[in-house]
Amino acid sequence: MTHATATADMMHPPVPAEPGSGVYSNKLGMWIFLASDVMFFTALIGSYIILRFGVTQPWAQPNAVLNVPLTAFNTFLLICSSVSMVKAYAAIVDGKKYFLRPVPGKLLRDGGLKFWMLVTIICGAAFVGVQVIEYIKLVGEGFTPTGYREGSLLAEHALGDPVRFGAGVGGLYGSSFFTMTGFHGFHVTCGVVSMTYLYLTKVLPEKYSPQDYRGIEVIGLYWHFVDLVWIILFTIVYLI
Amino acid sequence: MTTEHVRPNYVLIWLYLFVLTVAEVALAFELPISRNIKLLLLLALAVWKALLVAMFFMHLKFERWRLRAIFMVPIPLAIILVLAVITEKIW
Amino acid sequence: MTSVAHATPGAHGSSAHHAPMSFWRKYIFSTDHKIIGIQFLFVSLFFLLLGGLLAMQIRWQLGFPGQPMPGGGILPESMTSGGVILPEYYIQLVTMHGTFMVFFAIMPLLMGVYANFLIPLKIGTHDMAFPRINMWSFWLALTAGMIMLAGFFVPDGAPRAGWTMYAPLSARPDLSGATYGQLLWCVSIVVLGLSSVLGSVNYITTVINHRAPGMTWFRMPLSVWALFITAILAVLALPVLQGAAIMLLFDQTIHTHFFDPIAGGQALLWQHLFWFFGHPEVYILILPAMGMVSDIIANGSRKPIFGYHSMVFAIVGIAFLGWIVWGHHMFMSGMNPTLGSTFMVSTLLISVPSAIKVFNWLGTMWRGNLHFTVPMLNAVGFVSMFTIGGLSGVFMAATPVDMHIHDTYFIVAHLHYVLFGGSLFALFAAIPYWYPKMFGRMMSEPIGKLHFWLTFVFYNLTFFPMHILGMGGHMRRIYDPTQYDFLKWMQPLNRFITLAAFGLFAVQILFLFNFLWSLKRGKKAEQNPWHDNGLEWSLPSPAPHGNWERVPNVYRGPYEFSAPEAGSSDFLPQHVKLATDKEPAGSLQR
Repeated sequence: MTHATATADMMHPPVPAEPGSGVYSNKLGMWIFLASDVMFFTALIGSYIILRFGVTQPWAQPNAVLNVPLTAFNTFLLICSSVSMVKAYAAIVDGKKYFLRPVPGKLLRDGGLKFWMLVTIICGAAFVGVQVIEYIKLVGEGFTPTGYREGSLLAEHALGDPVRFGAGVGGLYGSSFFTMTGFHGFHVTCGVVSMTYLYLTKVLPEKYSPQDYRGIEVIGLYWHFVDLVWIILFTIVYLI
Repeated sequence: MTTEHVRPNYVLIWLYLFVLTVAEVALAFELPISRNIKLLLLLALAVWKALLVAMFFMHLKFERWRLRAIFMVPIPLAIILVLAVITEKIW
Repeated sequence: MTSVAHATPGAHGSSAHHAPMSFWRKYIFSTDHKIIGIQFLFVSLFFLLLGGLLAMQIRWQLGFPGQPMPGGGILPESMTSGGVILPEYYIQLVTMHGTFMVFFAIMPLLMGVYANFLIPLKIGTHDMAFPRINMWSFWLALTAGMIMLAGFFVPDGAPRAGWTMYAPLSARPDLSGATYGQLLWCVSIVVLGLSSVLGSVNYITTVINHRAPGMTWFRMPLSVWALFITAILAVLALPVLQGAAIMLLFDQTIHTHFFDPIAGGQALLWQHLFWFFGHPEVYILILPAMGMVSDIIANGSRKPIFGYHSMVFAIVGIAFLGWIVWGHHMFMSGMNPTLGSTFMVSTLLISVPSAIKVFNWLGTMWRGNLHFTVPMLNAVGFVSMFTIGGLSGVFMAATPVDMHIHDTYFIVAHLHYVLFGGSLFALFAAIPYWYPKMFGRMMSEPIGKLHFWLTFVFYNLTFFPMHILGMGGHMRRIYDPTQYDFLKWMQPLNRFITLAAFGLFAVQILFLFNFLWSLKRGKKAEQNPWHDNGLEWSLPSPAPHGNWERVPNVYRGPYEFSAPEAGSSDFLPQHVKLATDKEPAGSLQR
């Protein structure tokens, strides 16, 4: 590979090579990694679908145990963070490395990379925060990975209305819920940590430019993927 | 390199996603539709939202087909696994 | 007429480290794909040896049940009583032999070693696409190996449910008796999975994006094709195992109910998930071996590989079909017979591309100028042993037959024919073949030949009779076959196998000695000792850091042996430019 000079366009690196995928390696690598992550979630979500299909007793109804309105808000939060991420990407493509810049004749100021990335990180962290609070509440009410804890509030409800609360398969409900959302939450957390690291080491010192914003695009892909998985997960776990 | 394209209106996509999410939640609770149809509709809405994110935020719509292929490969595998095991249960 | 080679070997790659590196950065925390490959080699050979030691103990118990094992006295009371192997320890041996051999010996030997070492060299680039992630991949694999090894040293010892870890036995410590050991197995698999995925992402990206100018897809050596396709299998299959291992871990520790039928879970779910991973895994364990054998046989026959394109399509076909055959491990699980029939059909189908490959290897050798060097001997041994293993596979693919031989020693014979007779012989070929490029020295030919012949004989004496045991109803993983009257008549055969196995293990001393001794005392290797065409042979032995200063141009495929254009030479390397050759499109000549 030639030594990259300051003006070399790293988004289309001038390496002497056979034409490959047509995209720079970091991006290709992230797409392949995302394909493998799809398989990971396939194992978890696929097992959930298989198990739920195979039970002979009724499953708990949506909103009986889980707080759907809260999670719907959380879903909205994650989608917003996905939008801010793509706005951050668009900003650096246009060379807007700044935080906020006033635009003559407009009320709202124009956001640059630093602004939109920060929004993404905050929304992402907020998502994790809400999920942690949700977990604490659920465990407090008696919903655990092993099922409805004996003597808890939910166990009482389940005795009273076994169909609505899916009392017979409560254990399976808890197992799959916490595993799927837990590992998704883990992926979100990894994303927030990575983005914070990039923000401090590369975004704030303005190391990204329209000639080289590979890190932003690659972490963006990961972030959108995490959002995508949540969209599927929210529907399957909370709404069905 | 990505094919030159008109930048999608991200705010518009965000609006679509918002509307679809509201539709999903409403569907899940309020509307008195038979359970199976509700299931199909919810899944369709979820897939639609996921496709919006993949196509526009991840820019798959504007990439070459080879890159799209990488992301699409796991999907038939996932479907085969789940379908095979479910049909096995329905004995 | 050949012209002077264009490729210039040099000490600098694009990631030019102009300052001299410390010992730690150069040899321990290295990002150089060649060093990482060698690190994998040493660690994997250690685990191969360990797996063999476990096997020797298994064979002792089967050959001489209830008798004190020589040296058994040094093992703790939880494992042996007065030197006699206890049943609880026996099942740990069986479980861990499979686990270590599959996950920490064969898989890393093929992928961690040869994908890392060969891919950049054979496609003509300075290093992998992501050198630091490559380094992480090795350290994660080593960590996983240490976690797995720790299983023997924790209270209640190693897991006891077989390397396939079927639920509910694996999910219930109260039933299996293994507590921490089982937990460690699950954690180790998750860590190893991450190592494999990261490694595979590297291999795939490098092959797609970093081929030298002129190295088109259909000029790549079959070893690279095989490693590339295998990496795709790995990147998609390992995460499924990770998910399953996590669910098993949770079932076992925090009492979730995924595999618990009483709470609505499904024990069979584990089998489906495991084998959905497990079948692509066994193709991961054979495809790179096939690829490397293709290179070595073409070289040893001084002929182009017969049917290069069909070889590529066969690799792709095997990988593709490998996703829809997993149920053939579950014919006796109680699953839906109709689904079983579909798996029977797909499994019979998958024998076709494998057979195509065998015929093509034979076609390559036919009327070739055969040079039976150590790599060539082992490669031909691979072809014959893999054929036997494949044929027994055809029997097992037929569900009605499998009903009788499932979980018997017929299966054990099959899997060892393809994994030892197949993959390990291929490794016995590949290791001396690329040893000069790794270490700058040659392994000893006479010792190598003696090792091959003795291994070949003892190997067949050990594993062929297992087919007979299996047909006689001898089941797998059993502690004491003499407890059953209907097995008693085969006990002399068991003893024979045990003695042959001891011989087989003992003979490996030759290989170990050859490998270690040649590091310092082997004949110094020239640049291209095998007169091969691959790009790696255009570099000095051993290959320098960064490989080439300027990557070479490629003008032809890798199997131009005995080509008329080469004149008096019987090989024509890929990077050598003849007067009639055009410069490739992405060439550096601009």
